Amino acid sequence: MSDFQFGRIVEYLPDLINDAWQTLWLSVTSVTLGLVLGLVLALARLSGRKLFDWPAYAYIEFFRTTPPLVQIVWLYYGLPGLFGVDLGAFGAAAAALGLNIAAFFAEIFRAGIAGVDRTQWQAARVLGLGWTDTLRFVVLPQAARKVLPPTGTTVIYLIKGTALASAIGTPELLRVGQLVANETFRPVETLTIVAIAYFVLTYPIALAFHALERRFAADRA
Amino acid sequence: MVAPMAESLIVLEKLVKRYGTETVLDRVDLTVAPGQVLVVIGPSGSGKSTLLRCLARLEEIQHGRILIEGKLVSRGSEDTGPLPDAATLHALRNEIGMVFQSFNLFPHLTVIENVTLAPRRVMGVSSAEAEALAIELLTRVGLEDKRDAYPSRLSGGQQQRAAIARALAMRPRVMLFDEVTSALDPELVGEVLKTMRGLAERGMTMLVVTHEMGFARDVADDVIFMDHGVIVERAPPNRIFAEPAEPRTRAFLERLLERDGGSRRT
Repeated sequence: MSDFQFGRIVEYLPDLINDAWQTLWLSVTSVTLGLVLGLVLALARLSGRKLFDWPAYAYIEFFRTTPPLVQIVWLYYGLPGLFGVDLGAFGAAAAALGLNIAAFFAEIFRAGIAGVDRTQWQAARVLGLGWTDTLRFVVLPQAARKVLPPTGTTVIYLIKGTALASAIGTPELLRVGQLVANETFRPVETLTIVAIAYFVLTYPIALAFHALERRFAADRA
Repeated sequence: MVAPMAESLIVLEKLVKRYGTETVLDRVDLTVAPGQVLVVIGPSGSGKSTLLRCLARLEEIQHGRILIEGKLVSRGSEDTGPLPDAATLHALRNEIGMVFQSFNLFPHLTVIENVTLAPRRVMGVSSAEAEALAIELLTRVGLEDKRDAYPSRLSGGQQQRAAIARALAMRPRVMLFDEVTSALDPELVGEVLKTMRGLAERGMTMLVVTHEMGFARDVADDVIFMDHGVIVERAPPNRIFAEPAEPRTRAFLERLLERDGGSRRT
């Protein structure tokens, strides 16, 4: 086993940085999709109406229990054949990861919203506030504080999960790392640099969530 | 059946509320005239809080009708007949304000934000106008210096007064008070009762569920004694406390006097 040698890899740094952007963009797209859909699913589950609750339940359990890698493959290879819809590699990966993570966000949000005391809904109701306003101004701000830590963890988990997109050839960090490793015969060094790149992407997000948490907590001190 | 009285602000007709098989309100009739202060007393589980919650439409009723200003706002879910129409409900949605035992302020909002939220969102009042009204109300309840504080920084009495200001900001015609001093330390009860007395003096129509007999004696036009989901007796305070007509009322008041040793003052 020779010493770590990073020399040759430096040549590939522009590629790695470029693909770090791809990873970031893939993450932003799928997290955004996941957050919006996750909130809708959580509200559907809490609606108390079977018409909304049951499909949401089925969706969540389906996407939680099947491998995201398979979901990516379904969307990439399955959709064009079945429905003639071709999202492309990036689109299929972003959609699959977003649909997948939505199931996890939904469960986090559901717990957070259900955790807001019922008396808050009642207080809003006797003031004449409607359902949407109650949710927006009373319940969600309080739920947000409770769901921030698990949401942050899930976002970071997803960013690292974007590596699965390499399976269908989406250019992103891990895939490029593998290509560079093959060309340089330096897999350990290359993948170490890839790991550092993931750290550089995810750690600011962890910090941002901590900062948000502090801000929400300060409100009530 | 008596014809609906034009002078009644609130009319409850044969109200029945059940939780499962348990009947909490059993054919309750009640009329409230504008400006009246009614104090509702009775043992726990007698249905007094449920009565208020049905009026605030936090609970569904199984039978009977609720009319405000002669207009139907609630009908028993197991009855037939016309339902309240949406326009009436919309027009009357601010008529009833309610204050809870546990304050239920919005913990993530400051005092003034608590007070201005509903006027801004429900009545479409501008922020400036809502704030001006809020400051007026907070001054009235003695909290003008706490306008930017979060509820967790306030004492229980201050929180409850903020909750009263929040309810008043919707300019309700009726205020419901559900054991609003029961969760307070004894030394904080007085400041909340004082705020409520001030409200009564201004002519607010009030339904007050309370164990504060001093308040009932001084402020109530009528005292209502409830037991097992029915109104046993309704009479002016001097009469109901001096010579209750019903044995059940007498027994309840005697137990209360024993407990308090007759020393409790408000």
